[in-house]
Amino acid sequence: MRPEAAPGATFNKGHLLLHAALILGSVGMLLPFGWMLATSLKSPPQIFTYPPSLVPNPVVWRNYLDTVQAMPFGRFYLNSLFVAVSVTTLQILTSSLAAFAFARLRFRGREALFLVYLATLMIPFHVTMIPNFILVRYLRWFDTFYALIVPTAFSVFAVFLLRQYFRGIPVEMDEAARMDGASSFRIWAQVIMPLSGPVLAALTIFVFLGSWNDFLWPLVVSNSNATRTIPVGLATFRGQYNTDWHLLMAGSVIALLPVLLVYVFAQKRFVEGITLSGMGGR
Amino acid sequence: MTASASSQTSVSRWRRYRPDQQWEAYLFLLPSFAGFLIFVAIPVVASLALSFYNWNLLSPPEFAGLENYSQLLTNDRVFRKVLFNTFYFIVTIVPLQLAFGLLLAVALNQGMRGLEIYRLIYFMPVVTTIVAAALVFQWFFNRDFGILAAAIWELAAETGLPIRPPDWLNDPDWAKPAVVILTLWKNTGFTMVIYLAALQGVPTELYDAAKVDGASPWQRFRFVTFPMVSPTTFFLMVIQMIGAFQLFSEAFVMTQGGPAQATLTIVYYIYQMAFEFQRMGRGAAVAWVLFIFIFIFTLVQTRLQRRWVHYEAGGES
Amino acid sequence: MKIRQWQNRFSFKALIVLAFAALLVSACAPIAPADDGGMAAMDDEKVTITWAMWGSPSEVATHQSVADAFMEENSDIAIEILAEPWGDYFTKIQTLWASGDSSVVPDVLFLSPIVNYASQGVLENLDPWIEASGYNTDDYWPSLLQYGMYEGSVYGFPRDIGLEVLYYNIDIFDEVGVPYPDETWTWDDLAAVSELLTDVEESGRVNRYALGMEGGKWMIWVMQNRGTALDDMRNPSRCALADEGAVEAVQFFKDMLDNNYFMPPANMSQAGGDAAVFQSGQVAMIIQNASRVSAFNAAGMNYDVSVIPIPADGQRASAAGGAAWVMSALSDNKDEAWTFLSWLQSTDGGQRIYTASGEILPALQSTAKSDAFLNSGQPPANRQAFITEGENARMGRIGYFVEWSEINGSFISPGRDQILIGEVSVPDGLAAICEQVDAFLADNGFPK
Repeated sequence: MRPEAAPGATFNKGHLLLHAALILGSVGMLLPFGWMLATSLKSPPQIFTYPPSLVPNPVVWRNYLDTVQAMPFGRFYLNSLFVAVSVTTLQILTSSLAAFAFARLRFRGREALFLVYLATLMIPFHVTMIPNFILVRYLRWFDTFYALIVPTAFSVFAVFLLRQYFRGIPVEMDEAARMDGASSFRIWAQVIMPLSGPVLAALTIFVFLGSWNDFLWPLVVSNSNATRTIPVGLATFRGQYNTDWHLLMAGSVIALLPVLLVYVFAQKRFVEGITLSGMGGR
Repeated sequence: MTASASSQTSVSRWRRYRPDQQWEAYLFLLPSFAGFLIFVAIPVVASLALSFYNWNLLSPPEFAGLENYSQLLTNDRVFRKVLFNTFYFIVTIVPLQLAFGLLLAVALNQGMRGLEIYRLIYFMPVVTTIVAAALVFQWFFNRDFGILAAAIWELAAETGLPIRPPDWLNDPDWAKPAVVILTLWKNTGFTMVIYLAALQGVPTELYDAAKVDGASPWQRFRFVTFPMVSPTTFFLMVIQMIGAFQLFSEAFVMTQGGPAQATLTIVYYIYQMAFEFQRMGRGAAVAWVLFIFIFIFTLVQTRLQRRWVHYEAGGES
Repeated sequence: MKIRQWQNRFSFKALIVLAFAALLVSACAPIAPADDGGMAAMDDEKVTITWAMWGSPSEVATHQSVADAFMEENSDIAIEILAEPWGDYFTKIQTLWASGDSSVVPDVLFLSPIVNYASQGVLENLDPWIEASGYNTDDYWPSLLQYGMYEGSVYGFPRDIGLEVLYYNIDIFDEVGVPYPDETWTWDDLAAVSELLTDVEESGRVNRYALGMEGGKWMIWVMQNRGTALDDMRNPSRCALADEGAVEAVQFFKDMLDNNYFMPPANMSQAGGDAAVFQSGQVAMIIQNASRVSAFNAAGMNYDVSVIPIPADGQRASAAGGAAWVMSALSDNKDEAWTFLSWLQSTDGGQRIYTASGEILPALQSTAKSDAFLNSGQPPANRQAFITEGENARMGRIGYFVEWSEINGSFISPGRDQILIGEVSVPDGLAAICEQVDAFLADNGFPK
């Protein structure tokens, strides 16, 4: 939705100022990234020269080839994709159902249960990792995709985010549907979810991103190349004594692409938005 | 516990539970709750149990009663330092991140051309892996050869002024701001995206009505945008606070907690205890003390939210 | 409208039913781990030994060639490599062990420090195996095997000796016109040459430091000056850092930093680590172990090594220590694991291959003094420096008891930082460290 001006509005002073500020900020945002990219195209002796240079000379494209060949990169990439897509799907499904109950249904113990949910968010992963690992081994999931996917498919963060958003949707919307005899399930599927496009898009990005970049848990539960994911593979470029900076950065750049792609597609929904007025009388 | 609703018209209805929705609600909760119980709740309870044991992970745990807690509270100077560091990060990172995120979201939600590219640029840090980002920043902050320092040295050489770049990561007073800068760079895009999504839920009619009433852009922000995104602000406050309490990777990669423990955070300390010092029980105890802090903070926030968080948009106006 | 799209495209009920079915199936019927050289059974006749280590891709390639060479000689044993990133290797290994399940704990592992594991009974005592097979432990560098021992028994074989030497950039030395370091150098010589090598711009920016070394290696100065961190590195009763020799040594280190002769350790790690600053000429010398050789050779650097300068009446004090190969006490195939382990640590077996890779100084003296190391035809020319340091290497850089990690991590390292930054004077800082360490030792019932 475009609250301020219609598309194609003429530039005015305020807009120019805004652009100037945004461009300045962009430089700051992009500078570290530029250095990453430059490093990924440099030969090792070029990387730490002074004065620092953002322009690799000569450009070493080979780094990318070396990165991909240093490990079963394609395999790791596919593993990561499979895990991230599965986790995203499962999390959004389970969380949106739960969030609907927390936001829209009236049941005994609702607030208490939600607080319990929230409370678990406050215990850092480092101390729950070992109990979780023992659980996974007990289920005989060690070194399987189950171990990578299932334990991370339930997210308090997602429930919380969706609950907050759902509560912002006017109750009149579901009440109208209920009058028409719709079940709660239909309201979830046909009223609440469609109205939550922007937040679902945002959540998709974050869940995908979180799963894609997750390091410690995949490291611990996967042993073989068959289940190994990209972040664990990339971490091996940081050795005990030497860091292969150029390869690490090249790998990081490649790893960034799918998430960026998801973002580019999902972000359209932020601006598309949803006009509540259009839903009137439904 | 939390306020269910603040909309005057529906408060009384919302407070009551509806028997006919009881079972339905449980069905909706089931998929999430089953997984939550097994993979979240059980490990969390297990970690509580661990905090009453001495466990080096290798040989069987030994029951220790409250020893881990009493050691922590009475005889641990590092813990006090770590608490202070963590509070420093909370009070700097949370407000700055919320402010920058909202500002950016509002700016990028205008109907101007070319904003998509900014939305992409400001989000790129979020996508980057923290390890690569922290390593890059580490080098940026270097006093002798880094890019930030290079600019200042250059200036000093040109002008002859006695200016020196700060010794960011080698100076306890500068290392903390360095971590804050990295965190802001990395996470502001996250806040921005959540706010952008929230802004889409604000009905255009409200702005139109405000314009008709002659409200200035600031008034439109203050009286329409801000209250309308307040549930999101509440969400972000809670999430960011938990995130700041649990700050780890940034310090782990960029400063290794140093210099002189200036950037050692609570979760870093837990990691050290559990996996470097082989005191899992003590680590778990730190985690649960941390829990109590965050829980109290969150409770306070949920109490306070009644005053400023506005649920059920569109029900009025 | 969007609502219709959702309605038409998905049947939500079906989707949920499917998701649940998938969950239930996965929960009720656990499948064998995915197999791609994974944990699953190989050939029936072969015994599979899982072998865990950390390593970068190039190091893993070396490990793989070692495994291949072994399997060629021993057709009845299959070696399965489990290579993890250095950063969280120990987190993972400890987590595997915490599960107490022999099927997930590797049979042979690369570990450090040994005492933390041996004291908890998770490592196989190698004494009986050594005795039965007649394995020669005398070939190790003096006091190196101590690193793999606990309460008088051997639990691990150090693969290499991580002792440090002084690397120097020949081009920079020639350009400045100073003599190359040799065995006669004292701290005074080092300081005098450093003054010439350091290059400070008018603005105050240091363009080149004389020497770079990791902060964790500071104890080298203390030990050269006959100091020590604790009075007894196995069973301490007090901290000895405030003693005269230690204070003098730390003061030397601090002076070198204050004069811009030495690069501040934190700055060095920010700037990419010692290998990076040495290669880019930002320091003229570094103090480091043999691990840098292959990288510098690959980069075609003009460099050599020498022994580390010592104080006038001091002693050589390179560290006798190095990560060691161990056998898990949980292993189901100990005979085969021993066969592999003893082969790894033999001049004809693993030691030779690792040495040829150019990254280590081998743990066995016979390998180090063989052509594989001394006459590899690769730089550095003065490999004798490694041998000299090796023959004088000593234990004591780290504590040989479990609580050392915490003493070092919580008190000594942060205290050292404060001294090097200049927040406290050297004597005061060291006294403060000792006060904390002594309190910790008392609380934890030392000496035991």
